[in-house]
This record gives sequence, C-alpha cells and structure tokens, in this order.
Amino acid sequence: MITEERESAAVAEPGIEQVVPGASARAHPLPRGSPLRAPYWMMTPSLALLALIVFLPILIAFYLSLTGLNQYTIGDWLHAPFVGLRHYRDTLLPQGAFASSLFNSVKASVAFSLLTTVLITPIGVGAALLFNQSLRGRAFFRAMMLIPYIIPTFVNAILWRLVFMNGTGLVDQLLGDFHLGSRETFWLIGPNALWAMVLADVWAAWPFVYLMSLAALQTIPGELYDAATIDGANGVRSFRHVTLPLMRSTLGLALVLSTINHFNNFTLPYVMFGISPPEQVNVLPLNIFVNSFVTFNFGLGAAMSVVALVIMLTPAVVYLRAARVGDETR
Amino acid sequence: MSDTAGLTRRTFLKAAGAGAAVASFPTILLSCGNENTSTSTAQKQTGTLSLFISKDTAHPQQQIQLMDLVKQAFEKQNPGSTFTFDTYASAAEEQTKLETAVAAREGPDIFEFGSTVVPTGYASGAFEVITNTMWDELGGKKAFFQPQLAMSGPSPDKLIGVPWSGNPYAMVINKEMLQAAGISKPPKTWNEFVDAAKAMTNGRDTWGTAMAPADGFDPWHKIWLFVTQMGAKLMDDTGKKGLLDSDASVEACAFWLDWMANFKIASRQNATFKGADETKSFASGKIGMQVMTGPGGIITYDQGAVAGKYEYVVGPTVPYGMSSLPAKGKPAQGFVSGQYMTIFKYSKNKELALRLMKVMTSPEIQYQLFKLRAQQPVVLETFTKYPDAKVAPWDTLYDAELKSYPTPFFGSWLQLEVVLGKAINSIAQQIGVTGTYSKDALKAALSQANQQLAASIG
Repeated sequence: MITEERESAAVAEPGIEQVVPGASARAHPLPRGSPLRAPYWMMTPSLALLALIVFLPILIAFYLSLTGLNQYTIGDWLHAPFVGLRHYRDTLLPQGAFASSLFNSVKASVAFSLLTTVLITPIGVGAALLFNQSLRGRAFFRAMMLIPYIIPTFVNAILWRLVFMNGTGLVDQLLGDFHLGSRETFWLIGPNALWAMVLADVWAAWPFVYLMSLAALQTIPGELYDAATIDGANGVRSFRHVTLPLMRSTLGLALVLSTINHFNNFTLPYVMFGISPPEQVNVLPLNIFVNSFVTFNFGLGAAMSVVALVIMLTPAVVYLRAARVGDETR
Repeated sequence: MSDTAGLTRRTFLKAAGAGAAVASFPTILLSCGNENTSTSTAQKQTGTLSLFISKDTAHPQQQIQLMDLVKQAFEKQNPGSTFTFDTYASAAEEQTKLETAVAAREGPDIFEFGSTVVPTGYASGAFEVITNTMWDELGGKKAFFQPQLAMSGPSPDKLIGVPWSGNPYAMVINKEMLQAAGISKPPKTWNEFVDAAKAMTNGRDTWGTAMAPADGFDPWHKIWLFVTQMGAKLMDDTGKKGLLDSDASVEACAFWLDWMANFKIASRQNATFKGADETKSFASGKIGMQVMTGPGGIITYDQGAVAGKYEYVVGPTVPYGMSSLPAKGKPAQGFVSGQYMTIFKYSKNKELALRLMKVMTSPEIQYQLFKLRAQQPVVLETFTKYPDAKVAPWDTLYDAELKSYPTPFFGSWLQLEVVLGKAINSIAQQIGVTGTYSKDALKAALSQANQQLAASIG
C-alpha cells in the first residue's frame, strides 16, 4: 500500500521532465548567446576557491611526497631534493622500511573506524527511536544526549585515559572489586588498547548517529504508521517496513560520514596513547603525524597522506553516491 | 583546622628560603650585568622580544616567578624594551613550532631548545651563529660550563646555542632501603646493581629500581648510557648510518628490558611509565635506585616519603657481565644535557635578544634558576659567588656534569631517538602484558628501526 502511495505521488506531477532545464538542454542544445543557456561562467569564483582550498593543497602534498623534505631543507621547501617515488617504494613495497608500519596502521584504522561505526549505530538509532516518542522531560533528555558529542575530543581522551589507567583506573578498580578480572589489567598497551579506544570513541560519537536518525524520524509522516497499524503490522514490522526504509538514506549517509570521521581521528589516539602507541592503535593519522612532525620526514609523511587519501576515496565514493541517492529521493 | 595547620616546618622553611631569594632581588637588579649600564642607551635597539621556552611542568609557578625576575632586570637595563614568552610542554610542540617558524621564516626571536634538539635547529640553518664578539658580550665562552658548549654547535666556530641550564645525570638511591637490604655502598658495576636491586625487591610493593619505557626520551637515554659504557655507538661518525641493530645495541636493550622481564627488579607495571611516573615512584619510597636521573626530581623527592633518605651518587659504569670497563668503554654517567637559548635568524631584534641572553646568563639570574627551579647553573661564576649551588646533593651533580659526554651533533639524532624509543616501547609493552619477550623479536624490532632510520636519513 505504501509503495502504491509513493508511486501515485510521483505520477501526480505530470510533465516534470519538460521543466527540468538540464533535460531540455541535453535534447536540444541552446544556441550560443541564448539567455536560457546555463551561465556556467558564474561558477568561476567558486571553482577558483575550490581549486585554491582543495586541489592546490593536494597537489602540494603530492609534490612534497616526491621530495626528501626534512629538517635540512624545511627552510627552503621548494628546493627540497627530488627523490621520485622513493617514499612510495618505502611504504608500499613489501621490503620497504615503512611497509609493515603503514600496513599495520591501515589495519588499525580500518578496524577502529568499522568497529566504532558498527557499535554506535544501534545505540544512536535506539536512542532516536526512544526520544522521538512523547516522553515527560523529552527536551531535557534530548539535550543531555548531546553532552558526550560536545565535549572536546582531547578532554574525552584524557578522561578515558584516566579511566583505563593501569591499576589505578576506574575500569581496573571495578574489575578488581567485582572479581571480574585482574586489577592490574593493561588497557593502554597490548591488545586491549584497541577496545579502550573504541569504547572511548563510541561514548563520544554515538550522538551523531542519534541526531541524524532523529532528524530522519521526524520527517516520516505519522499517517504511514497509522496505515501500517490498520494493515495489522506490529511495532517490529512497522520499524522494518516503514521506519527503516524511510530513514535508510539519511542513516547510510550518517554511517559513511561516521566511518570517515573515525578513520581520520587523530586527537583521541594521540592524547590517549602518545607518540609511541601500541601497534593495535597506531592509526594512520597518528603514524603520519609522527613521521612528519616528530621525525621531520615530511616527504614520507606526505607520501603516506597521499596513500591515506586514496584509501579514503572508497568511502568517499560511497558517500557521494549516497548523497546522489538523497537528491533523487527529493 | 585552620589553613596554617597544613604548613609544615619544611614547607615554611622552603617558602621562607624562596621568599628570601626573591627579596634579595633588588640587589640583583643592580648587580647583574651592570657594568655596561652606563653606556649610551640612545643607540641601543629597543623593542619587545618574544621567547619560546620549555615549560617547567614540575615547577610552573616558580618558572613564572623566575621570568618575572628576568623581566625586571632586563627592563631596568634596557629602558623601553621588554619581552613576552610562550611555553611548550612537549617535544612535539617544540618541534612543530620550530618547523612552522623555519618554513614561514617568522617566529619568536629566541627559541629555547633541549641539547639534542640543537643539532636539528642547526640543520635547519635558521639560527644565528654566535660569533666571538657576541660571546664576548656574554662574558666569553670560558664563562660557561665547558661540556655544555659541546652541544652548542658542530664546531667551536659554529655555535648557535647559549647554555641556559644544565641537567646532569647521576643515580639516586634510597639510603634506608639499601641499608635494610644489607648493602653498605652503592653499586659500581651493573652486576652489583642487579644484585642490590634483587635484594631490595619483594615483588609486591618494593622494587630495586624503576624504568620508564613509555617515555619519549628515557629509552634512548638508558640505551645510550649502556652502549657508551660498552665502548660502542648508536650512530656512526658520519651521522648517516644508524647502528641500532649492532650486537652492542641489542645487548644494551636486552639488559634494560630484563629489569622487568628476567631479573624482575622493576615492576611490570612500569611498561606504561613515563619519566614523571618513575620519579613519583621513587619519591614514594618504594624504589631502591633510580638510574640516570637529573636534578629535576629533587623538589618531588623532598615532598615525598623519601625526603631526607635519598642521595645522589655516581652510578655503575662497568657493563653487565664484565668486571671492568672494556677497552673503548667510557665511564659515562650521562650525556651533555640542558637547555640552550638560540637567536632566530629571521628576528629583527637580534641585538636585543643578545642583551636578554646576557641578563639570563648573569650569575644572579642563574642562581635564581637554581633556587626557584632546582636547575643546575651553567655559568661558572655562579658557583663561586653562591657556594650553596655546589652543596650536596648538587656537588655530585656538579661532578657528573663534568663527566658527561656529548651525543653526536647530527640533525638525524632526533630521528634516532624516536625510532629507537618506539622499538623499545613495543617490546616493553609485550613484557607488561605477557611478562616476557623474545630476543629475536627485540632484534627484529631494532633492525626495523634501523631500516627506518636509514630511510629517513636518505
């Protein structure tokens, strides 16, 4: 029934194809000088700005990745010696000095971003469903939900560092008090470090999914639920067949953005673990920072950044496709 | 109870001492560097200098107090001029500021660097070489602690750093714990050290020693010490090749890590320790010996359970497994360490910057640096003018400073510190979690670190 309604709504706007300027332009190109011709030249300032802000830094980063820019040449970086693809060989070929370091960092970043996203999704959607209903004190609770999200990342990182401190941290104290584990469990080093970082980030990031989900839920007309109820759907079926499909594009966008954000998170691991983090949490941004700004190997850092950019293009393409899906829906 | 109830005799005496030092400052203002105050000030450059200095996280208030005193003296001697200062609390901040300033050719007039960052500063070519005329303005090179000058530049005619404070290394012992363990004198060899530490360790709450493998600096400090005593090096003489995977380096790293893993004279919990944790641990009175430590901990010790029970002594110099120093081995206690002032090449206030340095290196200000921040003065006249700067425990530290060895003056040394620290840290973490490590894994980590160093040097 719902599908029929949507289809009939689309049909109720006949002739929409004819009023789309792009569509008619494609069919019959307008003559030069026609007032109806799209004035693309007006986009020049925006394109120039885009080139300056986005493409120029990328080009510079790529250029730097081909140079041996370091502490000896930073004062005159334009004349840093050209080393060709040496940094790419060092990072991408199996025998390269930084290959295993880069590979481990990519693994750590992917694991961290995916785990965090997977965990925050049900929490965020669940909270949105709960606070989309009429509840006493709803406005207050909605505001409270945002607190973890608005706390600066470095404060969040310091808090969780203290919570996970070996022996004296809250987690170890609780483990000891409730006889659930050793009071001397390490959370900031070793394999547990990844879980410590994921937990810290989940706590801070779930309100993002909550906000996006809540926004999506508020656009769903109540009539659709009424219709579903009349059709005999219970709460679970309504959620599966009404709520989820209608919030799918927004939620998808939220998850892609969330994955990208977690992948690029630098502050949290930097503050929690410092510049010599355990291998499990030596995420790509931290590795790039150490190589660039601690060991003064800017050329290598730039090459790693270019590799990171290529990796991040994957979810970025997904994001762009998701954004296009949104346009079509509108 | 009233607030005064918390004021102990010790605290009172300290506060009174610091107060007296500050109260005597008007005299200092008149005396420090006053021989030139009669010269024409009309021709002198005036303005506002900017400084970028390291933050004294252990004594932040005292640092502000000291800088106020410096400012008073500077403004008095240089009417119309003053300075502002900004601080950095970590090596990363220090390096980022350096990189930004050098790339932009704009930044503070004076940078304060640690001794091992001076080579990086020199490599950037962005700092003024202090000429002989400039040194003369500062009282001449001979006015300074001579070992400090070894880290001012690559050669005597290319010095860029003016020494500001010293950080000599020695071993600090808990006399009470040593006595309780039946040890009458501090260990002279590393074998004796391990035996003494074992005697003081109960494996629960008291330990023979402590270590800080998670620190950004401590790992290379200790490995440098062991390797130097063995007569080996971490980097070759050209500065182009690391020797991190040499037998000596592997042995040195293994010896240090064995404190946790095999000898069990340091707690496994030390795997996450940084330098400050190690110092606090010793101050708590539960650690017998803290190796290669500077004067920075004195105030913490005096406020802790170890107050009155500790002593700075000469640490072991004979490598583990040996009965005497090997042929090329050096009886090192530490490397030349401390803080240096450098003049940024692109500064428009170079002359004024030198005049501020003159104030900062006056014996009076150097003495205040000692009294307020427990830092070792680097101007020799300070010790003759203020003999208490050499009274115990400072006498041992003074001697240690004379016996310190410079680290290689290469810009790549900083990279070596980082890659070595990361390799050690990864194995230490393994020990923390599992209690053990394999020597093969250590060799592999050091080999990878050496490869990374080679790739970084290019």
